[in-house]
Amino acid sequence: MELMIAILVTVVGAATPILIAALGELVVERSGVLNLGVEGMMLIGAIAGFVVQFHTGNPYLALLCGAAAGMAASLIFGFLTLSLSANQTATGLALTIFGTGFSALAGSSYSARPVTLMQPLFPAELATHPIAKVIFGYSFPIYFSFIMVVAIWYFLHRTRAGLILRAVGENDQSAHSIGYSVIGVRYLAVMFGGAMAGIAGACFPLLLTPQWAERMTAGRGWIAVALVVFASWKPFRLLAGAYLFGLVMTMELYAKAGGGPLSVIPSELWAALPYLATVVVLVLISLRRDASTNAPACLGKPFLPAN
Amino acid sequence: MQFRLEKRREPSRVMLYATPVAAVALTMILGAIIFSLIGYDGIGAVREIFLTPLTNSYKWQDLGIKAAPLIIIGTGLSIAYRANVWNIGAEGQYIIGGLAGTGVALLTWGMTGWWILPLMVLAGMLGGMAYASIPALLRTRLNVNEILTSLMLTYASVQLIYYLIRAPWKDPMGIGFPQTRLFSEAARLPTIIPGTIVHLGVPIAIVVAVIAWFIMTRSVFGYRMRVVGAAPHAARYGGFSEHKTIWLAMLVSGALAGLAGVLEVAGPFQRMVPGFPTNYGFTAIIVAFLGRLNPLGVIVAGVVLAITFVGGEVAQTTIGLPNAATGIFQAMMLFFLLAGDILIKYRVRRVVPQASAGAA
Repeated sequence: MELMIAILVTVVGAATPILIAALGELVVERSGVLNLGVEGMMLIGAIAGFVVQFHTGNPYLALLCGAAAGMAASLIFGFLTLSLSANQTATGLALTIFGTGFSALAGSSYSARPVTLMQPLFPAELATHPIAKVIFGYSFPIYFSFIMVVAIWYFLHRTRAGLILRAVGENDQSAHSIGYSVIGVRYLAVMFGGAMAGIAGACFPLLLTPQWAERMTAGRGWIAVALVVFASWKPFRLLAGAYLFGLVMTMELYAKAGGGPLSVIPSELWAALPYLATVVVLVLISLRRDASTNAPACLGKPFLPAN
Repeated sequence: MQFRLEKRREPSRVMLYATPVAAVALTMILGAIIFSLIGYDGIGAVREIFLTPLTNSYKWQDLGIKAAPLIIIGTGLSIAYRANVWNIGAEGQYIIGGLAGTGVALLTWGMTGWWILPLMVLAGMLGGMAYASIPALLRTRLNVNEILTSLMLTYASVQLIYYLIRAPWKDPMGIGFPQTRLFSEAARLPTIIPGTIVHLGVPIAIVVAVIAWFIMTRSVFGYRMRVVGAAPHAARYGGFSEHKTIWLAMLVSGALAGLAGVLEVAGPFQRMVPGFPTNYGFTAIIVAFLGRLNPLGVIVAGVVLAITFVGGEVAQTTIGLPNAATGIFQAMMLFFLLAGDILIKYRVRRVVPQASAGAA
């Protein structure tokens, strides 16, 4: 029982950054933009969050600065792809290369310096019973991720602004002709995605490993992008997908800790498992008929008004 | 004063070749400003990263051996990207190529014979091809996006290195180091200039790029790649199968990434070590774009990126610039290049206010 709950809490921790980043990317893709720079924006958010946490010890400020840094990075992408109609795939890759270099440079004097992990949101007395711990034992970003799943679903499917955003992603020419600013909507979506990726990145030093390490997001941003496909652009499916990956990564942790039946398999295979699982998940999803038809029709295409 | 973008009747060839040069120049200027602002010697950084490797003849051999893998991988990627096939897992194909070559070197350890190196090269190219065929198969059979699969396989291949050199391929005399034994003489790439570290891979890179240029401009294969990439509908109408083109693009780019991997392990490394993933596969993406997806351009772009690598190391020792600065300069180059692409299709026009419009 104790072990089950410990595993569950670890799964939630591992899944949260992927979920937050993927939610941001889901909104971006729903607006018709494919930003492959999630990994880079996460790394920029991670170093911003780390530096702020290191100097102020205020994790909320760290998350906020992570969001701001991720958003700033997303504006580079937005400017190139939306204002200058640059190739989205290549620009996203460039953003990831940039984020990797930027975070390594900014973090070069911080390696191996510890920060304090973010404390649980609720008082410890509430989380003494094992079952209560599953509900009240987490820090703020975990509750934030749940709220965002619901909020983004509500925004996309129950609000007028969400309808406009989806219209822009499905048919940019029509949206443009009835007077909506396609580029404006896409800028806002890209900035939101950047902020979410930045928060997701800041979660790494705040929730998972309380120190700075180069490339500490280790491809989680790419898994987030893949999860959006897996979820066929639906927020609640994203929640399920992120927890599936949280489980796979937790198994890796337990296998590395040694002992038990998990360590029969080489630890390197466990470490490779989240990436291999991503490939398998992409294959499985492609076998479903409706998967590809759910993609926003204008995804990845630059918008050029027909006049 | 206002500016407006006006569509050109046809893409500007001048801009096609001028923008990469401008991108490098702008990177140097903006790089100097940014690095000064964050407290480094900005002008010094640009001088050390971009000029010292060229003016210091001792660094030329480093340039050659750093440029070779970038040119080989970049050539393959430029062919794939021309066909609109987004293989971004070249790093993984490079790693599997290196591992396949290592496998042959370890199997033939202690043997002599001229055939060992060619066999390693063959194994490396087949290894890279095999690894690239996974995203190709998934894309053509199941319509799975090759960007994500090729990249995920890269992360997995890194773990494969760690596993092999920690367990089955570990050097028995290695006092605990996770690495393979040093290759025997017959499995090492010979140097071509006595007294230097310039190995056979450098001329091979040039030959590969020139052959690729010839094929891309003069053969049906090249025509197919370009047509499928530029106008997929016309290509289908013209009888070029899209699936076959995806396969060709992935296999060629995978084989070349694998070739770079085996040349790297038999040349500079001479054994498989944990540091073998050198990021060449990712940097080659920049090389391909900076070279305008043209194999001859890739030769120049490969040298430019090699300069930043070598210069980055120089700047690290001389002015204490962290190694990561190289990556920022490389990414900036790509940003500027992509931003400049708009000038190929559009021209910037000054908007002159109309004097007649209700001026009275």
